[in-house]
Amino acid sequence: MKKFLIVLMSLMLFALTGCGDKDYEIPLIIYDFEDLYMQDFEDLIYLGDNYSEFHFVSYDSKNSQIIQNEIVSDVLLNDSNVIVVNPVDRLGVYPLIAKAKENNISIIFINREPIKEDLLLYDKLYYVGAKPEQSAEYQADIIINLFGGNPYALNEFDLNDDNVIQCVILKGEPGHQDAEIRTEMVIEELHNAGFEVEILTVEEAYFSQDLASQKMRDLLPLYGESMEIVIANNDAMAIGAINVLIEEGFFVDENLDGIIDRATEVWFPVVGIDGLPIAVELIEKGYLYGTVLNDSETMAQAINELAYLLVRGLGMNDFSFVIEDNKYIWIDYKKIY
Amino acid sequence: MKPFRNVSIDKKLSLVVILLVFSALLFSSGFIYFRTYKAFESVVEDNSKEINKQIILNYESHFEEIRETGRYIEIETSKLETANQTNLYSLYNSFATLNADIISISLVDDTGHVQATSYSSYVQNSYLTEHEWFIKAIENEGVYFFLISPNKKVFLNTNEEVINASKRIEYYIDGVEQVGVLLIELSTLKIDTISKQSNLGEDGHIIIFNDQDELIYSSDSNCIDSTCLSNVLARDLIIGGKFVEINGTDMYMSINTIHGTRWRIATFINVEIISSSQFTLSMLLFYVFITTIILSIIGTSILTKQITKPLNQLKTHMLEIQNSDHLYREVDIKGQKEVVILAQAYNDMIKEIRRLLDRLVEEQNEKRKTELIALQTQINPHFLYNTLDSIVWLAEQKDNEHVIEMVIALSRFFRISISRGKDVIPIEKELQHAQYYIQIQQIRYSNKFDYTFDIDESILEYEVVKLILQPLIENAIQHGIHEEYKGQIHIKAYQENGFVNFEVSNNGYGLTKQKIEEIYEKIASDNHESVGLKNVVQRLKLYYGPTADIEITSELDKNTTFKIYYPILKGEI
Repeated sequence: MKKFLIVLMSLMLFALTGCGDKDYEIPLIIYDFEDLYMQDFEDLIYLGDNYSEFHFVSYDSKNSQIIQNEIVSDVLLNDSNVIVVNPVDRLGVYPLIAKAKENNISIIFINREPIKEDLLLYDKLYYVGAKPEQSAEYQADIIINLFGGNPYALNEFDLNDDNVIQCVILKGEPGHQDAEIRTEMVIEELHNAGFEVEILTVEEAYFSQDLASQKMRDLLPLYGESMEIVIANNDAMAIGAINVLIEEGFFVDENLDGIIDRATEVWFPVVGIDGLPIAVELIEKGYLYGTVLNDSETMAQAINELAYLLVRGLGMNDFSFVIEDNKYIWIDYKKIY
Repeated sequence: MKPFRNVSIDKKLSLVVILLVFSALLFSSGFIYFRTYKAFESVVEDNSKEINKQIILNYESHFEEIRETGRYIEIETSKLETANQTNLYSLYNSFATLNADIISISLVDDTGHVQATSYSSYVQNSYLTEHEWFIKAIENEGVYFFLISPNKKVFLNTNEEVINASKRIEYYIDGVEQVGVLLIELSTLKIDTISKQSNLGEDGHIIIFNDQDELIYSSDSNCIDSTCLSNVLARDLIIGGKFVEINGTDMYMSINTIHGTRWRIATFINVEIISSSQFTLSMLLFYVFITTIILSIIGTSILTKQITKPLNQLKTHMLEIQNSDHLYREVDIKGQKEVVILAQAYNDMIKEIRRLLDRLVEEQNEKRKTELIALQTQINPHFLYNTLDSIVWLAEQKDNEHVIEMVIALSRFFRISISRGKDVIPIEKELQHAQYYIQIQQIRYSNKFDYTFDIDESILEYEVVKLILQPLIENAIQHGIHEEYKGQIHIKAYQENGFVNFEVSNNGYGLTKQKIEEIYEKIASDNHESVGLKNVVQRLKLYYGPTADIEITSELDKNTTFKIYYPILKGEI
């Protein structure tokens, strides 16, 4: 009987510890499940989960910092010592940090970068993301490439041949860090490279495809003739613009094969940022000229590896990513065109 | 359980029932109390959180409105070739005028100089770059900072409290991009208005504090700086919700951030209703508890009384019977069925015992009577011998008359003695029997004594146990004849107070009191030494009950009377 009990006990112990590691939950608190980009990103984070020590459990903050606060307060009661937070309000995360500090829990912030002052509040805070200005730099590179690379002698895409790039900018949510920085930096980079740019208009389309279509439809009568390129803060807006441009004859699929052959068929350059799968597809089909891939896949890997190190309590020496100030893990964008 | 053996059944039953009811009630009311309390608490908690959210939404929409205005101003500002007071005053001023919450709108360049403002005249403060709103905004791109500026406005040296909303923006001077800070001064009135609109219950209040836990706003007059209890509690919790007590009032505190600001808002909602309902609930449960306990005590005692009362009656009855001779009483018990059956069985048993005992007594009496009569009827051989001897002597004397008299007397004496086997004979016969005896003895004793009969004729018809006078007369002749003078034997029979009395008196030596006592003792004694007198008394008692007895009175050398008496049986009157 005693032996039987011992066997039973060890079996139970085995069951507990065997699956125990895998049962270790890391809360993945997304700002809004409705966000397509975050859906993709979330999938990638799950796919990158090659560690047997833990698994992610997603929570939806429903774009409300109040809900996010509640979720964080709740998960802090669990025994996870790492949480991944995609903040709703960049400015509103400092109480969460204070809470985490109180409970000695690490937070990996993703997608929205908290202000530096907050990240300095506590040493177990990390941010995995891309430098917003880099996306704009890369977007500018794509544009420079389109116009031939020589600021003093633009190629045939300088439609009016004035050596000035006439552009329409589709801006994201005003005040949004990405929108502001991308808008500002793409122009700045072009300037830095010696290109002259004439901004015909900056339309705020709030990162939305539908809103971008609407804005595009409104501005075409005004700037349709003069614009040489549409620069969008993200792919969704770029796609929204392309849909209108197709309607208005800026793209003509003469052989109706669903693919625009840039050599033979009519097309118009539109650049985006984010590298959504649908955007990549559109590039392959010749509609979208280029995009900057927000390398979510690499970010997902970095998040997983960082989570693993934190769960195991290992130092950052083994981390295969560069960690800046012991807080920032910057993932480079990728140009696709 | 030994100590419980001596406890009566009703106490035991009551104790068990009350204990059971008590523990069941305690458990169930505890459970109900806990569950109801928890459920109620969580409802109140959810409700409080909901109110907090609503308030926050109100604040957020207020700040969003400000940001919206700021955005518009930013865009308009950045569109200008040159942004300066001349170009922007009317725009800024119209916004500041139209929106009651906005006190002023200003653009400050990166060196702290005012580039444009909604004020028509202002004091140029030379240290603007040292202001927190300036530093925060310039350091963080794309973010609005909302900061409280205590006791002064930036441009006018007044004491009115304002909120500074600042953001780093780009603008152009002669087409050259510049970096500056857009500053919107806001009135705190709106904050107050929103909080006043919120229904937080008595003493409920709102506090707003910043990322440094400094109090920015409080709707509670008791909370005027960062050291007040509300702020301390909020600071300790950071964010979330908690039940707290402030100045003796139960409150639910919930803290959340206000989107786009670095402020937190803590709402304190009066939740006294929890403790008051807690009290009501506990009182209700208490009453139910007490009522049920009382009812169960009453119920149990009624129930146990129903069982134990007839049982106790039965017990008392049995004890009475044990301690007395009242065996002939049946117990009449109403109550619990089982006990009634038990009582009936007991009655039947008593009846049976009684019947058996009666029979036994009867049999004993019969046997005794037979024995006694047998003893009595044994012919004293001396008497017969002496009588026959006397007859012979009389015959020798040729005294035929006396011989005849003697023989007739003797034969009649024996006839009555036998009485055809009957125990009871009419008194007349008994008197005749006595007379034959005394007649024989008188002849035998040669007239040494005289005798007289004094008979109440009315009793002759009554019956008497036979052969009771003869031993008395025999006794009187043997002991009552004085040597010196002729003996007198007087026999008297009469009725008095329902008793038949026979008195046999003699004028012999008499008996001392001590002697009389000895005789009484002998008669009463249980030993089987049979004396004639004892036999008489015993038979009288056997036939006529304890009231029949003997009474001896004596005056020395004068007169001695043996009196026996017995009650006249009812049927004879």
